[in-house]
Amino acid sequence: MMEGPRIQTREEMSSFLTENEGVDVNRLVPLPFPYEDWQDEPIPRLTDSQLERIVPGPDGIAAAQIPVPESDEERDRVVASFLEGLRKLLTKENNWTFLQPFILSLENCVKCQTCADACPIYTGSGEMEVYRPTFRAEILRKIVDRYIKPGGSIFPKLRGNDIELDWDVVVRLAELSYRCTLCRRCAQTCPVGVDNALITREIRKLFSQELGIAMPELHEKGTVKQLTVGSSTGLNPAGLADIMEFAEEDIQEKAGLNIPMPMDVEGAEYLVMHNAGEFLSWPENLQAFAIILEAAGIKWTLSSELLGYDSVNYGLFYDDVQYSRVALKHYEVAKNLGVKKMLVGECGHAHKALMPIADRLIPEELRVRTESCLVLLEDLVVNEKLLLDPSRNDFPVTLHDPCNITRSMGIVQPERNILKKIAPRFREMEPHGVHNYCCGGGSGFAICSSLNFSQWRTRVAGRLKFRQILEAFADEIGPGTKKYLCAPCSNCKGQMRDLINYYEAWDRCGILYGGLVELIVNAMVDVREGFIEWEMH
Amino acid sequence: MVGYLLGGWVWLCLVTFAGGCLLRAFKYATAPVHLRWDLYPVAHEPGRDHGGSYFEQLEWWTKKREKDHLAEIFAMAAEILLLKGVWENNRRLWWASFPFHWGLYLLVGTTLGLMAVMVGLGSPFVTVVLTAGGVIGGGLTCLGALALLVMRSTDQKLRLYTTPLDRANLLVLVLFGGLTVAIAVGFPGMNDVPAGLVSLLSFGGATIPAVWALQIAVGALFLFYLPLTRMVHFFAKYFTYHQVRWDDQPIEENPKMASRLQAALAFGVDWSADHVGGGRTWGEVATTIPGMEEGE
Repeated sequence: MMEGPRIQTREEMSSFLTENEGVDVNRLVPLPFPYEDWQDEPIPRLTDSQLERIVPGPDGIAAAQIPVPESDEERDRVVASFLEGLRKLLTKENNWTFLQPFILSLENCVKCQTCADACPIYTGSGEMEVYRPTFRAEILRKIVDRYIKPGGSIFPKLRGNDIELDWDVVVRLAELSYRCTLCRRCAQTCPVGVDNALITREIRKLFSQELGIAMPELHEKGTVKQLTVGSSTGLNPAGLADIMEFAEEDIQEKAGLNIPMPMDVEGAEYLVMHNAGEFLSWPENLQAFAIILEAAGIKWTLSSELLGYDSVNYGLFYDDVQYSRVALKHYEVAKNLGVKKMLVGECGHAHKALMPIADRLIPEELRVRTESCLVLLEDLVVNEKLLLDPSRNDFPVTLHDPCNITRSMGIVQPERNILKKIAPRFREMEPHGVHNYCCGGGSGFAICSSLNFSQWRTRVAGRLKFRQILEAFADEIGPGTKKYLCAPCSNCKGQMRDLINYYEAWDRCGILYGGLVELIVNAMVDVREGFIEWEMH
Repeated sequence: MVGYLLGGWVWLCLVTFAGGCLLRAFKYATAPVHLRWDLYPVAHEPGRDHGGSYFEQLEWWTKKREKDHLAEIFAMAAEILLLKGVWENNRRLWWASFPFHWGLYLLVGTTLGLMAVMVGLGSPFVTVVLTAGGVIGGGLTCLGALALLVMRSTDQKLRLYTTPLDRANLLVLVLFGGLTVAIAVGFPGMNDVPAGLVSLLSFGGATIPAVWALQIAVGALFLFYLPLTRMVHFFAKYFTYHQVRWDDQPIEENPKMASRLQAALAFGVDWSADHVGGGRTWGEVATTIPGMEEGE
């Protein structure tokens, strides 16, 4: 199956010549029992009418939805703007936010390819060259060396700057920046400390901040909508009130408890920041949080202020300006409400956006202490502040580690301590913790399903994760045993849902996915039995 | 005449090497403070064995921060001396890279030893050590570079990303390593080497055998271009580890950094995309949204 890379020469690499035939699903990494005979459906090519409007990447996939230019002048303008953006990316004025790590990674990769085997997309795809972590980074390095640095056109072939920059190269590079989930597993294995995922993020940033090109789900439907409407889901404060009313009724019905959803409580201990995707797709997560916090006697609140009810910050994935605007708004809401702390719910990128990354951005006057929900939950569970009956969770459970919480923040043990306490049949995936594989939905991919991207996401980006899940449950893989895949992250859950649906894992293996708080509530003695509903949704 | 020319070449290369390295290090060191980009495990964290951080603690800001500097040093030492990351993640390459790096370390050590002898710190024991350093260091460098050259020429994954200049660089090191072995063997006890070097560097006019002159010229050439290459990772690695992936210090513990960040917010932004609204400072851009009322 491993035929080796189809790009065979440096010239082909520089012009992305030969990957145009698209992803060959027969090369994808094989899956274990009961999927030995699994036949992947091919990823559909863009239709002729789509190709008239949109430029796909070198693999035939389209995420950024770059429009086909109407004239040669427009093509030239894109190339010129790209070079202008690249220059800005290398200045401290325009890019102080990441200049140092960027230039360190740009200038010191020794091209040893140690990172390649760490990348779940490269390996999962059957080693497609355009997905290699160094591929897009190396294209950018060539362009910088040839077109930005002085004397770049002297002996370009000898020095490896053998790239002719044109519109095709520019737009393909833009598309390829959306074939990496920024999970940073590659960076973790780099002996020099180079971070090719960061370079990918910088490429996205260049296109967004200079040319206005970004994956629409991240920009127009993401940060722009969030900053104007209040949430990237489009949820406004009135809609939020309806959802909270429904949540109260649902808790009464399912758990037999009367629990109010506190809103805008000034001076509360915690402002709980949920990914608003939970409200619409997984309301049981929001409800489980409410049940736990009430049972623990914690004074908490939600916010109905614009942005205050959606912890999402997709700017983290592609645009420093949008990231900063959203992060500042989040802290402003918390400050104005006068809460003592912010508690980040089960959302990986919100953890990273609100905690380590915001640390050097939020001015002192807006600072509010911020904490991971996993740490608070660990305290409540391990110190027996909740009445729990682990036998209610007597089914196989495994944990998916969200990259942003583990690899990028070092929160690894609390979730394990909780699971060891409440899930007697808990087992780890391999590898796990900070060495986990990304779910394949990272960096905003989970919310992108347009054109043929969701097919790519399930078949290629999530391939290794799905294999890991099967291996974790290998001893009880039959559909007769219901199994719980715990993913304490909203975007990861979106990807898990799509993986389970595509691979028919609920019917074939009885694998259900959900968050961590649902498992805790499922074990709570004071809650009616059966909080987890064993049906695929 | 050859001696004078060679002396001049060596000085030129040494100055270029030192100046080039300093300039690059200066560029990295003076880059503006960046947003955090931690990557776990972080070697100085008490929870490093499982990749944990201080964020694992309830009310982490109230806890005394523990930073294990010794663990950080051990982690770096394992990287530098054992190439631990390559061993764990790219075993095949390690068999070539490890001897290559150790060859270079030994050659650097031998050169420092020669300098010690040049200032009168020599002894018979030192001479034996230097000879061994030259033979083993040169040999490992030569063989390691040769192995890397073969791998970079035959392995498709490496070949695609290897430039003609990368190959030339490895050839230079194969040659330099081989010549070093020849000299260490050919000048028993290396007795004449320190005096010859002193004469060369002080333009004393001493006659230097051809093979040795070639070795010096090739070694100097390597130093000359090194700062222009990715081989500066020998110091860049300090920044990638200590100032990026292991830099997890909260801002409130570093008031100096806070004032540098304040200065960064005054930088002018001229990104062109409409949503940025360039032509203002970072602080202004981040707190306003084009098309919406100021500060809304």
